[in-house]
Amino acid sequence: MKKMELSRIIYCVALTYLCFSAANAEIINKNVERVLDLSSQLVKTTYKITAEETTGKPIKEYVFIVTEPNLSYISAKDGLNKKVEVQKIQEGGASNVFSYKLTFSSPSSKQSIVIETVSTKNILPHPSEIKQNDKQLVKFVGKLYLYSKYSTSTQKTNVILSSSNILSHTQVKPFSVSSNKVFFGPYENIGAQSEDELVLHYENQTPFLTVNTLERTIEVSHWGNIAVKEDIQLTHSGAKLKGSFSRYDFQKDGRSGQSAVKSYKTYLPASANGVYYRDTNGNISTSNMNLMRDFVDLDLRPRFPLFGGWKTQYTLGYNVPSYEYLYSSGNKYMLKMHLIDHIHDNMLIDEAVVNIILPEGSTNIELITPYSVKRHQNDLMYTYLDTVGRPVISFSKQNLVENHISDFTLKYSFSKVSLLQEPLLVIGFIYIIFLFTIVFLRLDLSITSHSHKD
Amino acid sequence: MEAMQRYVSPVNPAVFPHLASVLLIIGTFFTAWFFVFVVSRKNTKESTLIKELLISLCAAIFLGFGIVFLLLTVGIYV
Repeated sequence: MKKMELSRIIYCVALTYLCFSAANAEIINKNVERVLDLSSQLVKTTYKITAEETTGKPIKEYVFIVTEPNLSYISAKDGLNKKVEVQKIQEGGASNVFSYKLTFSSPSSKQSIVIETVSTKNILPHPSEIKQNDKQLVKFVGKLYLYSKYSTSTQKTNVILSSSNILSHTQVKPFSVSSNKVFFGPYENIGAQSEDELVLHYENQTPFLTVNTLERTIEVSHWGNIAVKEDIQLTHSGAKLKGSFSRYDFQKDGRSGQSAVKSYKTYLPASANGVYYRDTNGNISTSNMNLMRDFVDLDLRPRFPLFGGWKTQYTLGYNVPSYEYLYSSGNKYMLKMHLIDHIHDNMLIDEAVVNIILPEGSTNIELITPYSVKRHQNDLMYTYLDTVGRPVISFSKQNLVENHISDFTLKYSFSKVSLLQEPLLVIGFIYIIFLFTIVFLRLDLSITSHSHKD
Repeated sequence: MEAMQRYVSPVNPAVFPHLASVLLIIGTFFTAWFFVFVVSRKNTKESTLIKELLISLCAAIFLGFGIVFLLLTVGIYV
């Protein structure tokens, strides 16, 4: 009896040891090359990691840790340029550290991975308030070494900045600076989870624009049109303007208000027509539209230049023909459109709400999105010639960047006969008026009895 | 997806304005005929009800489609 128990304990210990060693398989980062693009308001990082299993076992999974707050986008590819599945590991602990599990489709003892991340609101204006004629200086605080679960043999970091005016940067040798680029490394044999700071303080005059809310409404009409309307609230999220604004200085002095946003470009689909750009006052006339080969280039100039902390809001709308985005077979329809669209270069959207209005009588609605979104309850909307209301599919997503521009798919059923409902409604209404006329002319409303003798 | 075809409107959007004007003209003609007919009707016992209903139905159909295409022309995609 005792012998059996003992053997069981030994067995258990051996099993846990096996599990432990399997989980702690000796993966090391042989070579890491990081490219940090800090030339805009976003932190775009490209990691080229060559991971190796020392014992020669094939690597199936790799844990990648992101320490940057406000991570907006992550994607990974393996050495053969194939997409690697990225899965977030749920953790209850530290708030700013997120682990992602990369699962390779072809396990091998040596994996090369290319990971791209985009994070927002990590480049902060420093000082946070500037005068109209001052330059906008920003500060970035990151990690000097790759924060990894595994130890790293050699690593290099290239930083691309927006200008060659660098006030200060981390001085860990070896490093070199050339114009607007800073090269750190190679650093040899860095242990796992080492936390050294990388600080860069430099001039960045690129527009710091944050789209606070974007409300995108897509209205589908089976008469051959899809109407898109975007309600946008913008804030200049760079260094705030200190003191008063002088229009005279702004117009006269070229160096004045360099960080202010005077105009920006929005790209619309090539088939966009009937474009409007307006706010609560009406049309904003300071806009230009150029038709390009595969897109429409819209040069938008707000009513006033946007300085740090200033806000603006406007509505941008256009029509596209339905054959560009709507597919059908029998009674089944499929709408395939961009979930969000380009607003300005290096854009950053705090919150986007997308409403899709389908024609009256649509049923069996099924939404497929390229990334997870927060679904809202389906709603009904009443506009012209509606009886039971048009179904509205609504969802939202926070912290979006340009990499999130991709297609959603919405499937629904709609019977072609319902298309006749609107004309029939008008016909019925007019016919009732005629019937009233017929009845009214036949009524005898005179008080006295007929005495048409004269 | 592969089996699906691009959805094209049953009526070419380019002809919306022409269709709207033609239908509205015909509808107005029928409306005018109806009112002229009804007002000039002699107060006799002869039955003209069927004719009145038919003329007004024609007028309603043409005006109804005309108005819908007018809405589509001006950009109200119903």
